[in-house]
Amino acid sequence: MLQKEEALQLNVMNVIKNNRKTTEPKQKKGIAETLFDLFISKRLSMLILALIAAGSILGTIIKQGANESEYLTVYSEATYRIINIFGLDDAYHSLWFKALIVLFAINLTLCTAQGLIRFIKEKRQTDIPEFDRLSKMELNLRVDNERKEKAIGVLKKFYRLIRDENRGLILEKGIPSRLGVFIIHGSIITVLVGSFIGLVFGFKGFLILRVGETKDHVTARGGHQDMITLGFALKCKDFKASYYPEGQPKDYVSTVEVIEGGTIVKEKDIRVNDPLYHKGIRFYQSSYGKKTSFLFHVADEAVALTEQEPFQKKGLALMVVRFAEEIHNLGPGVQIAYLEGDRPQSRWFLLNVEKMKSQVIGGVAVRFDEIREESYTGIEVARDPGVFVVWTGFALMLLGLYVNFFTYYRRVYVVSAADGIIVAGYALKNKEAFKKEFEKLKEDIYGSTP
Amino acid sequence: MAAHHKILGIVTLLYLLLFFMHTIYFAWRKEKVLSLMRGALYIAFGLHTVGIALRWIESYRLNIGHVPLSNFYESLIFYAWCIIGLLILLRKRLAHTNITFCASLIALLLMGFASISPSVQKNIEPLVPALQSNWLHIHVATCFIAYAALAISFIAGMFYLVGQKRIMPTKETLEEINYKSIIIGFPMLTSGILTGAVWANYAWGSYWSWDPKETWSLITWIIYALFLHARTTRGWKGKATAIISVVGFVSVMVTYFVVNFILSGLHSYAT
Ligand code: HEM
Repeated sequence: MLQKEEALQLNVMNVIKNNRKTTEPKQKKGIAETLFDLFISKRLSMLILALIAAGSILGTIIKQGANESEYLTVYSEATYRIINIFGLDDAYHSLWFKALIVLFAINLTLCTAQGLIRFIKEKRQTDIPEFDRLSKMELNLRVDNERKEKAIGVLKKFYRLIRDENRGLILEKGIPSRLGVFIIHGSIITVLVGSFIGLVFGFKGFLILRVGETKDHVTARGGHQDMITLGFALKCKDFKASYYPEGQPKDYVSTVEVIEGGTIVKEKDIRVNDPLYHKGIRFYQSSYGKKTSFLFHVADEAVALTEQEPFQKKGLALMVVRFAEEIHNLGPGVQIAYLEGDRPQSRWFLLNVEKMKSQVIGGVAVRFDEIREESYTGIEVARDPGVFVVWTGFALMLLGLYVNFFTYYRRVYVVSAADGIIVAGYALKNKEAFKKEFEKLKEDIYGSTP
Repeated sequence: MAAHHKILGIVTLLYLLLFFMHTIYFAWRKEKVLSLMRGALYIAFGLHTVGIALRWIESYRLNIGHVPLSNFYESLIFYAWCIIGLLILLRKRLAHTNITFCASLIALLLMGFASISPSVQKNIEPLVPALQSNWLHIHVATCFIAYAALAISFIAGMFYLVGQKRIMPTKETLEEINYKSIIIGFPMLTSGILTGAVWANYAWGSYWSWDPKETWSLITWIIYALFLHARTTRGWKGKATAIISVVGFVSVMVTYFVVNFILSGLHSYAT
């Protein structure tokens, strides 16, 4: 028979480790059971982790999101086919990578749940060990009757009393240390849940605003370029880029107004590292530049067109497709494409030639007024309702790591003996530190003399 | 030449001196050399600290004041400082000449690379908008403390794998050093990754974007998680875990050097 002391230690240490049931005779297992055993196995979790790492490496070696011709200049036709089949040009969003993450989540959840259940069910050993076991413990100490009271006082100051009976006392410290592992694994699950919430209920988009322009929708990032309506409008009042004397960029600032139902509800300078937050949506300074816009009068209404941006009005659909600074020495001009019925047509407008400045397209008078250089600001837009869950996960992870690695469990017994008491104790991990702690206890009990 | 450049130059020479003192000690085994070495290490670390502090002060004199953790040069200097700092902090555990030899050699290489390589910009540069954040300090500091601890685990792992019996600390000691450094390195690496993610969310609107540096830090993190699991859940010991810690550090080096020079992304210091 195992000594109780050892049994306790083994018990405590094995609660989580022991995943294989040992003795039961081999029975045919059902499929469900076999699958369950597979998904909960620690060998599988190490394999999955290694595969996720390997897949991530592939994604950093192979250029992501390039187009076919770019790949074919680097890889052979056959290699490109493999890249294509396995989605290695967008590895982190490929089916197999997502499958690995899901598998990882299942495995981790099952392992953690199993460990937690065992931890809760585990019977706490609260018997006081036999006399000779105590004296065999790594750390033990005899205290005479004279100092008995003092010793117990010191111990009670350092440890929590969990049992007090005739034969002696049990004290302990650092129970939470055993929760560290659950906190760590729980935190990883929390982060995964948070990012999933973000994926499902959030969006990412971008917004280009010329100075003076107002928009209430943004272009969604990824796949199909849908428009997302914000529910309020954003107006760019000003954009400024400033530089250090040596020429390095110092600051990018977009001054914006949030407009709701015609009234300005907020004004803010958006900077890099200082986003605007409004109604769950964040706006980040991301890029800037200059854009040429072309001022037209379309049927007596002033409009600003930009290259490649379609314009629609009164059954007229047109778009600036080309801009030239100088056309046959006649000055600047733009080429306008439009639909006549269903047929695409195009026509040049020249700013300095009266006849080609005002023209009639599809029965509508169109006049080219001005070319204007305007700065614009590029703003990243994100809504992520899962981000606080992710932050919670992060905080838990750091807490769990601290608890797991820097706190530890130890137990101390106090048993009456013929001429005093025996104080004996052990630690589950970090025995060295416990030894030091025990030395210090000795000092406290006996004073500084050894 | 600015004072901090001079002082850091002297520090580099001191690490070189330390390298020679170790070789002399290995040849002679004189107790006296050992205490000289200890003295040289403290002086080098002290001057190293002064050099970094002067650089910090100098940046304020130039009106672009910021903690010297903002470009590749400054990170190399800080990394070497962290390694030697850890050596001094854990001097009781790490008091093995083989380990101090390798650690100061790594510090020498980092300092030498920082001062000699033409591709490393040595001047104090103003902070570009992306780096103007308090997250910069905590992110860079935690990452490099982690890298320093992991460098020590690498040294222990390497000695475990290639060491001969005679001059080594015992295999048990090496294993202990390896594990203990990962216990420091892993939570620090985790902190580095997490603070980086929080910062990225604040600056770019996304806490994770699979940028090469992020991805390699994740790979590194997974490797050390595998180390811990192999040890605790599967009872791996000795050679097997030593190999994982060596591989883990190779991954650290890829994250730090290779990604900077070959795979560009959001993290190239310049943008
Ligand atoms: C990236 C993901 C993971 C991280 C960062 C992680 C982290 C950790 C850490 C730090 C420890 C403590 C090790 C020690 O004290 O030396 C640990 C232990 C453990 N982990 Fe994980 N883990 C991860 C994934 C998993 C998965 C997927 C499983 C489930 C199959 C798992 C099961 C365990 C078990 C059973 C222990 C041992 C607990 C003990 O012996 O007290 N871990 N993990």
